[in-house]
Amino acid sequence: MEKTKILLDENEMPKKWYNIQADLPKPLPAVYSPRTMQKATLEELSVIFPMEILKQEVSQERWINIPQEIRDIYAIWRPSPLYRALRLEKALGTPAKIYYKWEGTSPAGSHKPNTAVAQAYYNMKEGTQTITTETGAGQWGSALSYATSLFDITCRVYMVRVSYEQKPYRRNLIHLWGAEVFPSPSNKTNAGRSILKENPEHPGSLGIAISEAVEDAATHEDTKYSLGSVLNHVCMHQTVLGLESKEQLKMEDRYPDIVIGCVGGGSNFAGISFPFLHDKLKGDKKDLRVIAVEPQSCPSLTKGVYAYDYGDSTKLGPIAKMYTLGHDFIPPGIHAGGLRYHGASPIVSELNNLKLIEAQAYHQNEVFEAAMLFSQTEGHVPAPETAHAIKGAIEEAKKCKQTGEEKVILFSASGHGHFDMKSYELFLHGKLVDYEYPAELVKQSLKKLPNIKED
Amino acid sequence: MKTIGFLINPISGMGGSVGLKGTDGLYEKALELGAEKVSIKRAEVFFESLGLVKDVLFLVPSGEMGEDILKKKGLNYEAVYTTKGLTSREDTINTLKRFIERNVELIIFCGGDGTARDICESVGTKIPVIGMPAGVKMFSSVFAINPKAASDLLKSYLDGKSKHKDSDVLDIDEQSYRADKFKMNLYGYLKTPYVPNLIQDAKAVFEGQDEEMAKEGIAVFASEFMSDGSLYIVGAGSTTAKIAEVMGLKKTMLGVDLIKDEKLIASDVNENSILEHIKNEKSVKLIVSPIGAQGFVFGRGNQQISSKVLRKVGKDNIIIIATPQKLENTPFLLVDTGDEELDKELSGKTLVVCAYRMAQRKDIRKD
Repeated sequence: MEKTKILLDENEMPKKWYNIQADLPKPLPAVYSPRTMQKATLEELSVIFPMEILKQEVSQERWINIPQEIRDIYAIWRPSPLYRALRLEKALGTPAKIYYKWEGTSPAGSHKPNTAVAQAYYNMKEGTQTITTETGAGQWGSALSYATSLFDITCRVYMVRVSYEQKPYRRNLIHLWGAEVFPSPSNKTNAGRSILKENPEHPGSLGIAISEAVEDAATHEDTKYSLGSVLNHVCMHQTVLGLESKEQLKMEDRYPDIVIGCVGGGSNFAGISFPFLHDKLKGDKKDLRVIAVEPQSCPSLTKGVYAYDYGDSTKLGPIAKMYTLGHDFIPPGIHAGGLRYHGASPIVSELNNLKLIEAQAYHQNEVFEAAMLFSQTEGHVPAPETAHAIKGAIEEAKKCKQTGEEKVILFSASGHGHFDMKSYELFLHGKLVDYEYPAELVKQSLKKLPNIKED
Repeated sequence: MKTIGFLINPISGMGGSVGLKGTDGLYEKALELGAEKVSIKRAEVFFESLGLVKDVLFLVPSGEMGEDILKKKGLNYEAVYTTKGLTSREDTINTLKRFIERNVELIIFCGGDGTARDICESVGTKIPVIGMPAGVKMFSSVFAINPKAASDLLKSYLDGKSKHKDSDVLDIDEQSYRADKFKMNLYGYLKTPYVPNLIQDAKAVFEGQDEEMAKEGIAVFASEFMSDGSLYIVGAGSTTAKIAEVMGLKKTMLGVDLIKDEKLIASDVNENSILEHIKNEKSVKLIVSPIGAQGFVFGRGNQQISSKVLRKVGKDNIIIIATPQKLENTPFLLVDTGDEELDKELSGKTLVVCAYRMAQRKDIRKD
């Protein structure tokens, strides 16, 4: 009898995060300051980030301790269950063995609290009174408001205005956990005010919300800024996913042939895959395939260029080398809001560049079809972001059906979709649009990247 | 008090049920064949759905062109033009003159492509227009899908919740249509109100924006990728015209123009002229936008881009552009080049550029 749910005890939770920077074939390309166009210094970045976080950002240590206080909080939902998708396998008629790491059990309903709690903790240690951040649909904003509430830190969330108005439930959750949430553009910052002056009805964008949150942090005492993905330390905090999965699979005497995660900024993908890539980088698991799945409408890894670009549309954040569609690219309003990022984590980008990982892009409707099949077989309703990973896993499982191979497929089920029922409704009524990035036509117009000469 | 012009073309739609393919010039024949007055029935549905509206004065022509129904419904109206005997195109045009004199802020008409064309000629895009479909031919995109939708649109307009867009006015040559020849022309544009349809978690700026901004985004993107040295055949329509505007060129709105290296090479070209111009070009590309309510990419309103031209250009060099608003109301695109084989080749999934650096995947089908 195959087990459905593989569980670890609380005391089996990882005690260290895995830092993949220690095992990369060569160091990551340097990060540059948008202000000076020189290599960014820690001092410069320390205006908006606590020092311990910055140290983690550039650390070359392979293993970094998870403080006991953080592990105590992780224990509320960690270790998270690893499921064997027996019913999905049966529906597909595949000989593949599909496992998924279910992060929908966290208070915020996704993997996001794994880093939110860590970031809030280090800020608390360094005396930060207030943390600012941006949020699109509210997934990250709610996770950070939960985390800051645990450490008595004030949290100010700048939420993209259209989402603020149209997605009240995540906004309410942010309020419930005690954070302040403003529709962005707001009249709280110079960035917001100047945009509102031009257009009082401006619907906002993630780029504008980032500028507001960064400006707020930079101009207030004891106030820091927090980002929910992309950066190295965020990717590292998420490695608890992969580390736990590895132990859980070991209990079943299995090791994955394929590891799959969805990519927006890249932290969830990093979390599930980096601990397995560790083995590949060591030379132990040469045949391991790691697949990043992204939307056709925002396909930075499959159709972007590997170049230095700004991390945000307002050019305030550091300039990093990454796969990018251009910082001025505004992804369309697809329902996997968390995957709408013009670039990708610099580490994930470098791994893609080195061909240590593969990338796949899918259309919105086929992704929702995969989500529907998953809901109808496994019961859990996935977030639209998560559904991208499910689609990737289903495609690989179908290949196994053709070849008869009994591959072990592991994917990250990063969050539940209980707040995404409007998106499901539109899908069920045939109203979802399949956006696609016109890569060929764009090729001629990608002329706006910052000019950085690498040494 | 808002002043709104309302008119019915009472003979519109009569030819349809009796197989006349339009009623232009054939009213008596239609009556003889026992045709019903479709448009008046449609207008009844419209007003029933509308109910009582406050602070609106409807200006109407007399009799069945408007006054009769307003009187019956007990709405606030004023007859501004008196029809005599059988109503005609003259009456429509004279009524429109009165509407303009009285500065109406909106015109509602119940009719078909022929009526839309008359309004287009008299009013242009000066006054917004809501079309209630009652004709035999309704290829223009000025029409609400049905009288109920037209009344909902009017309510949104009165509540200040609507925006404006340009809608194509198309009409076929009825004489040749009756001879089973299909020749459709793009006559111009009307300004029509529409209600922006915000999608739940549209974080993107462009889904919440109005259609003019969407056109601008498409045009800026096009002006960027069009700098590749190719000769571009640019089709008719307001979306394609916007590209030329962004480039600082003057394009014919209703015709097909040629652009290369951001210069206008030729205006309002016909099939032969296109073929002549592209004969010696290394790279030729084509930019078109679907025209009319049905979403025709080829075969309606742009017959200059013939099957011969299309074969020369090649499927891979065709770039289709359309605003998200237009695509939302067009479930799939259509081609009718008159060349069955070519229509087949052009069918299938295709990308339609719908914003700055963004496209939608759409189905192209044969007529």
